[in-house]
Amino acid sequence: MSDVQRMRHGSSIGLPVTRRDGHDKVTGQARFAADNHPTGMLYAVLATSRIARGRVAFLDVAAARAHVGVVEVMVPGNRPALAIHPDDKSVPFSFKMDLLQDDRVRYAGQSIAVVIAETLEAATEGAALLAPRYAAEAVEVTLDAPGAFVPETVGVGAPAEQRHGDVEAGLDHAAHRIETTYETPLQFHNAMEPHGIVAAWDGDALSIDMPTQGLALTQMRIAAFFGIRMEDIHIRSPFIGGGFGSKLLAGPQVLGILAAKLVGRPVKLVLTRAQMYGPVTHRSATRQSLRLGAAADGQLTAIDHHVRTATSRHDDFLEPSGGISHSLYASPAIATTADAVRLDTGTPGFMRGPGEASGSIALESAMDEMAAACGIDPLEFRLRNYAEVEPITGKPFSSKALRDCYAQGATTFGWAGRPLAPRQMRDADGLLVGWGLGTAIFPAMMFQAEARAVLRRDGTGLVEAGIHDMGQGAWTAFAQIAADSLGLDIDQVEFRGGRSDLPNAGIAGGSGHTATAGGAIHAAGGQAIARLTELAVADPRSPLFGAGNVGVVARDGRLVRWDDESRGETYGDILARAGLDMVEGQGSAAADQATAEQYSLHAHGAVFAEVKVDPELGQVRVTRLVGAFAAGRIINPRMVRSQYYGGMIWGLSFALHEHAAMDVRTGRVMNADLAEYRVPVNADVPSVEAILVEEEDPHVNALGIKGVGEIGITGTAGAIANAVWHATGVRVRKFPIALEAFSGA
Amino acid sequence: MSTIWLQPKTLPEALAMLAADPALTPFAGGTDLYPAQAARFAWGEALPEAILDLGALPEFWGIAADATQWRIGAGATWAQLRDAALPAEFDVLRAASCQVGGAQIQNRGTIGGNLCNASPAADGVPPLLALDAAVELASLRGTRTLPLGKFLLGNRQTERAPDELLTAVLVPHRAGDLRSGFEKLGARHYLVISIVMVAAMVRMEAGRIAEAAIAVGACSAVAQRLPALEAALRGSRPGEVAVTPGQLDHLAPIDDARATGAYRREAALVLVRRLLARLALPEALVA
Repeated sequence: MSDVQRMRHGSSIGLPVTRRDGHDKVTGQARFAADNHPTGMLYAVLATSRIARGRVAFLDVAAARAHVGVVEVMVPGNRPALAIHPDDKSVPFSFKMDLLQDDRVRYAGQSIAVVIAETLEAATEGAALLAPRYAAEAVEVTLDAPGAFVPETVGVGAPAEQRHGDVEAGLDHAAHRIETTYETPLQFHNAMEPHGIVAAWDGDALSIDMPTQGLALTQMRIAAFFGIRMEDIHIRSPFIGGGFGSKLLAGPQVLGILAAKLVGRPVKLVLTRAQMYGPVTHRSATRQSLRLGAAADGQLTAIDHHVRTATSRHDDFLEPSGGISHSLYASPAIATTADAVRLDTGTPGFMRGPGEASGSIALESAMDEMAAACGIDPLEFRLRNYAEVEPITGKPFSSKALRDCYAQGATTFGWAGRPLAPRQMRDADGLLVGWGLGTAIFPAMMFQAEARAVLRRDGTGLVEAGIHDMGQGAWTAFAQIAADSLGLDIDQVEFRGGRSDLPNAGIAGGSGHTATAGGAIHAAGGQAIARLTELAVADPRSPLFGAGNVGVVARDGRLVRWDDESRGETYGDILARAGLDMVEGQGSAAADQATAEQYSLHAHGAVFAEVKVDPELGQVRVTRLVGAFAAGRIINPRMVRSQYYGGMIWGLSFALHEHAAMDVRTGRVMNADLAEYRVPVNADVPSVEAILVEEEDPHVNALGIKGVGEIGITGTAGAIANAVWHATGVRVRKFPIALEAFSGA
Repeated sequence: MSTIWLQPKTLPEALAMLAADPALTPFAGGTDLYPAQAARFAWGEALPEAILDLGALPEFWGIAADATQWRIGAGATWAQLRDAALPAEFDVLRAASCQVGGAQIQNRGTIGGNLCNASPAADGVPPLLALDAAVELASLRGTRTLPLGKFLLGNRQTERAPDELLTAVLVPHRAGDLRSGFEKLGARHYLVISIVMVAAMVRMEAGRIAEAAIAVGACSAVAQRLPALEAALRGSRPGEVAVTPGQLDHLAPIDDARATGAYRREAALVLVRRLLARLALPEALVA
């Protein structure tokens, strides 16, 4: 993408501005939640359950309390009262929580007590001294658990069953049919920064340092729990060390707030790495059965995508893996169905690309199997089934540059000349080489956000919105949008975010933060400029007098006539003459129902992978990844590339590494640490290239932004799995691909 | 995490403390103990009551040679072993030391701790078995020396008596054209617990293998030498003797979260073949 093309009027939108918080982060000056140590602060440590189902029969509270430095031990008996039950879900997006309401254990790793002490060491030792005894009950933790049921909805309210056309007829008339089943593993959130909080009460007012992707949502739930007003809860979340969906809602950190209330002093609570494998949500395992039919020429006649997944025994979140089959490939008949089992685990939740990531690896694998069955190159096969309209709804796409993604990705990767048959390529060391492809897709979502913009008499601007920086570059991208909206240089704008006492900027989730909060910021800036313009054009002393609102534009701190840029004046002059210190604008943004009804809104991409496989050991090494993505307008290509890299590397991890091993007897995760819950290390990550494909979207939202946070994980895992088949001739349908998958091949 | 933390300044003081309280857990680098404690804590299990911190013992840390053998202090870290100017037969141990965790772990973890922890996947064990290493155990009762193969009894089990400390690893001097190497297989490319590892040392004479010592780790409760293969190789030219599955029959690999036993057996065979082929190459002579 040409960066120069996107420059206009001194705006930095489209320019690869470096991270505004980068210096503070690399020098250690960025203060994350757990870096805050208010005066008098105590340390809280969770004691967590080693059983997955049953009751806590005994805790040696006296021993813990007697330990030097321990101030208090919070158990169900003395836990401060809550205004609503932890299982109350009346606040939007709520899930049932475990806040020491009783002695029941619903999953391994559930909090059963909180020890509060003068030091972390004393609290840790105190927690160990609790020496719990349990009345354990038999557990179910696999997809084969009894009692499978058909849920009404999956994900966030999506119908569990969706049909278009006659799938059985499509399969009956197909020249080629495949029926395959793919298994994806249980995966746990492992953001670099574990969940933590520093909580301090002042009467009924609550001050919190806590990483959150949803300041207002979190504030709302906490207000409901404690029966206090939202505005009396002040949350600071300037930096988040990775969230990926796990920090969207008030999590186990509420126990830290309860602890602070119990002892009447500020309390810090940070989960250990091992404690991340319990209450912070996870991605359920899935077993996905796909039936595809295709005519002799390779045109799909049917897609049938059934998903078996799991939720907890006490609450519902169903990984919506089938959704990806609604929008990606043209087919006259599509059916997606789901069923699920209830397990003695924590409730699953939002984990980067919830549904899309797990669904993509299955659909892309099945498409590859069908391409092979038809004897067609996988790229050509996807082009023959290119969806000109959204297959399941028939709606046009608001924009779709997927053909350009395929073309640019294929050229950069060097796809042409790929042998059709597998196991045809070797490198100089005798390793098997394979090339694979996967299509990436992610819906362009918007939520609700508000923002406030101010133009000051000294010519500077102030923009406020409770935005969330999870490392994705929010501080930078939003400052670029804010500066653009005010017609100011980025360094002339003071940008405030990451706090709950600012306008509600919605959530950093669903890849919709930039579109939503960015839209609100742009609207707020636009309104401030409009108010300033009203002052100028109505003032006979202004060179803009009589120009009318539409005849004036903001440029570099000045308002000028659009038809004669020499006629204009600075913001400061306009305000000074009006006797004002500032003008203010407010803006909001939300999903537009009419647009969503008229268009299918999606970002697209194509990911090409090269793998090398040791023919004797089955070791897979991804040697190249090329992803080409079209996601509407790009605010900052440097940040966006980084998002794509991160997503693609997670895709690699999905295909080859991540897997929580569950002990089926106890319901405990056996590899609850970063030594054995494998994610790729640098040595596993190849050359990764992300191509930003130009795409103008006049419909999706005011800024034309589709979102880039999650799409990179889709397409990639399937591309790698398909490349592994191309290298070896072995079709692995259970992920992550294990070394022994090729034994005897 | 523990209620008692003792840090003796001399070996006799340490041995006296241990004799007085054999339940003390000896602590050197802590790279096994801390993760084990974290796991115990996570599952609400009791933590070790008392720690004997060996960090201040001067006798523990050096690597030195006398007339008959190398004496590696039990507290020698992976980083020391990685960087020490040791002769070619130690290439095998050097290679293993480079692949135990990352640099931070290599700076802390010790060879003595690795042996006493007695994990079946301990990366230090196969190289030292291939080098015919012995361990020195000290107590107030005296000092004894055991071949490493006799010291290691099973998964997390050793011959160390509760009042004993492992004080040194002893490796006999060797002369001649020595080549050694190490192959580690894990499920990712670094920072990974071994699925299989193979250590080998060969002594060449007039183009023939005069002596071969080969050990396979993570394929049985304790890493094993391959005596049948070693005997077959003796007197042969490199590449002349094929490695057969039968020579690995006494391994007893298990299925676990990292790999299946059947895969481990296949992979061990591949790695033994590859390592021997690599040691036969002329460039293996360049230490």
